[in-house]
Amino acid sequence: MMELLPQALTDGILLGGIYITIAIAFSLTYGVMHVIDFAVGEWIMFGAFTGYYLNKWTGLDPFIFLPVIFVIYFAVGYLVQPVIHRVLSGTKGNPFLMGLVFTFGLAIMFRGLALTAFGFYSNSIPSAFSEGSFNLDSIGLTVTIPTVRLMGLAYAVAITLILHYLLKKTNFGLGVRALAQHKDAAGLMGVNAKRTGSYVYGIYVGISAMTGVLLGCILSIGAQMGNEYTIFAFFVVVLAGMGYLAGVPWAALLLGLVQSIFMIYFNPSHTLLAVFVILYIILLISPRGLFGKGV
Amino acid sequence: MKFGFVRVLLLIAALFVAIPVHAEQRNFYKIGVITELSGDLVTGGNITKRGYDLWAQEVNAKGGIEVQGKKYQVKLVYADAQSNPAAGAAAAERLITQEKVDFILGPYSSGVTLAVAPVVDKYKVPMITGSAESPLIWKNKFKYTFGTIPPINFTGATSIKTLTELKPAPKTIAIIGSNDAFSKATAEAYKTAAEKAKLKIVKFSIVPSGQDMTPLLSAVRSMKPDVIAFGGHDEEHVKFVKALKQIGYTPKALLMHCGITDKAFTDAVGKDGEQIFGTTCWTGTAKTKSKVLWPTASAYAAASQKAFKNPGDYTQGGCSAAGIAFQTALQKVGAKPGMDEAMRAKLVQALEQIDVQTFYGRVKFATSGEFYHANVGLDPLTIQIQNGQIKTVGPKASVEAAAQYPMKDWKSR
Repeated sequence: MMELLPQALTDGILLGGIYITIAIAFSLTYGVMHVIDFAVGEWIMFGAFTGYYLNKWTGLDPFIFLPVIFVIYFAVGYLVQPVIHRVLSGTKGNPFLMGLVFTFGLAIMFRGLALTAFGFYSNSIPSAFSEGSFNLDSIGLTVTIPTVRLMGLAYAVAITLILHYLLKKTNFGLGVRALAQHKDAAGLMGVNAKRTGSYVYGIYVGISAMTGVLLGCILSIGAQMGNEYTIFAFFVVVLAGMGYLAGVPWAALLLGLVQSIFMIYFNPSHTLLAVFVILYIILLISPRGLFGKGV
Repeated sequence: MKFGFVRVLLLIAALFVAIPVHAEQRNFYKIGVITELSGDLVTGGNITKRGYDLWAQEVNAKGGIEVQGKKYQVKLVYADAQSNPAAGAAAAERLITQEKVDFILGPYSSGVTLAVAPVVDKYKVPMITGSAESPLIWKNKFKYTFGTIPPINFTGATSIKTLTELKPAPKTIAIIGSNDAFSKATAEAYKTAAEKAKLKIVKFSIVPSGQDMTPLLSAVRSMKPDVIAFGGHDEEHVKFVKALKQIGYTPKALLMHCGITDKAFTDAVGKDGEQIFGTTCWTGTAKTKSKVLWPTASAYAAASQKAFKNPGDYTQGGCSAAGIAFQTALQKVGAKPGMDEAMRAKLVQALEQIDVQTFYGRVKFATSGEFYHANVGLDPLTIQIQNGQIKTVGPKASVEAAAQYPMKDWKSR
C-alpha cells in the first residue's frame, strides 16, 4: 500500500489547490467586511454557469473566458456590496447576525433563481485541459497528475500571489489592511471604507466566479452545487483562522491531504468525519485557527 | 404554574391524537405528491415530478378516472421534501392532515421514502413511490407503501451476469457506492452479484455523497480492475466519469445504474458516456403493450418528448406507472374521491391484487417476502450507451444490440 503514498500526496495537494480557490477570497472578505458570506457557493455556481454558456455559445475553451468572467462578476460584487454594507452598519439589532441572515437569504434566493433559470440537470464544462494528464512513471513514481487539476493548483497559487502582492505592496492593499484592523481609525486616515469594501467584495465575487468555471471543468455543475462549496470554504477559513489570509493555503492543503490519505488508507465513508474531528481538535487547542492568528 | 404547563402540553397532545383524517366530499381525486424539488436530489425529484405530471395530464385529457360509470379528474398537490428525510415526513403529515389527500405519490429517493413510509402507515393513507429502490423499504414491510420500480437487489444481478458473459470474461471488479440509502444498496447488490458470479472484488468502498472521488479512484487504478461498478446519483455519475478520465484509467467495463438512462447524462459527459453499462427495467424502446393510457413504451416516450422535450427515463416512467397502478386499483375497488379509512384499506387490498400490463411493463406488487409491496412484474435489463442511444444488451431475450466490450480508451474517443 505504501506505493500509493506519492499518488495520495499528489491528489491531496491538488485537492488542496481546489480548496484554496474556494476559500481565499472568502477569507479576504471576512477579514475586511467582517461578514461570513453564505452565498460564496452561489457566486461559484453563477460563475460556473456563465462559463458553461459562454463555452456553449462560442465553442471556445472556458479558460479563455476567465478574465471576462472576473470583470462581469467584479462589477456585480461592486454593486451588491453597498447593500451588505448597509445591513452591516445598521444600528438596530446585531449587525453581525443581520449580515449572516442577509447572506444566507441571498444564497437561498440565488439557488432558487438558478433552478428556474438553468434547470435541474447536472452538467459539465468541456475543456481541452480536461483531456490529458502527466504520468511520472518514467521517473519511477506511480503518479498521474491530471492537467486540469494542475491548472487548478496553478490558478490557486497565482490568485494567492496576486492577492499577497495587492495587499502588501500597493496603497490599495494598505487601505484594505488598515480597514481590516480598525475601521474607524482607517477612516480617519483617509481610507474610504465604503469604496474599499466595494472593491474587496467585487474582487471576492470575481475570484469566486472564476473558481466556478474551474470546478465545472474538473467536477460538475448544477443549480444546487453551491451549498457544498460554502461548507468547504467555511471549513478552510475557520481552520486557517477567521480572516487570516496567509493561513488559507496551508489550511486548504491540510484539508486536501487529510481527505486524500483517509480515502486511500482508511474507511472512505468516514472521510468527512475525519476532517471534522481534525478541525475540532485543532480548534480545541488553538481556537483562533492553525496559526492562532484568526479573529 | 408547573401543573398548568403540563395541562397545556396534555391538551396539545390530546388535540393531535384527536385529529382524525376526515374524508372530504369532492368530485376529483386530490393526490399528494412528496418529492425532492430542491436540495441535492433536485434532478431526480423533478424527473419524478415529470412522471406524475404526465400521468395526471393524460388522465385528465381523457376526462378522468372512470369509477362506477362516472369520470373523476385528478389534482396533484405537491410538497417539497427538500432532499431531506425529515422535511419529507413533515410534508406527508401536512398533505394528510391539512390537505386531506386521497392517496400519495411518493418521493424520488429511498432515504426520503423511508422517512415518509411510517407516516403514511400511521395515518393509513396509501402511497406508491415511482422511484425509490432501496431494499430497506420493502424489508420494513410498510403496509401502506408500494413501489413500481423493483428494488436494486432484484435488478442488480442481471447486469453483473451480462458482464460475466462477455468475451474475454472480466475477472476482477472494484465496487464503489455513494453513502445514501439507494446508492449504498446498489453497491451492495453489485457486490452480492459479483460474489455469486465468482468475480474477484479488489475494492469495495462507500464514500460520502457528493465528494471528489479522485484519490479513491487513483487507488483503484493501481489494482487494475476489469470492471468498475458505481452506485450513485446523476451529479455523482458525471463526477465519476470525469475523475476516471482525468486519472487516465479505462476499465474493460464501467457499470453504473439507471441514472445514466436519462438523456441529460449523455448531454453532460458527451462522448465519454459511450459504452457505459447500466441497470434498468425499462427503456423507451421496451417491447410493452398496454390498454391503459399509453399503448406502448415508445408511445409514452413520444408523449414525454412532446411535453418535456425529453423522452423520459425509467424513473419518470416508473412514476407514471405508479399513477396507473392507483388508477387500476381505484377502478377495481370502486373508490370515489374523498375516501375514508375503510375505503383506503380496501384500496391497499386492491393494490395487492392488481396485475396490470402498462407501457412500463407488468405491474404486480409482491405480497410477502423481502420484496413486500415492491413491483416484481418487471424483468431487469442491462443497457449500454451506444452512439448516444440507450441500447439493451442483456439478458439475451431482450437484446437490441451486441454489447461493445472492452471499453474504448478515453483518449481514443
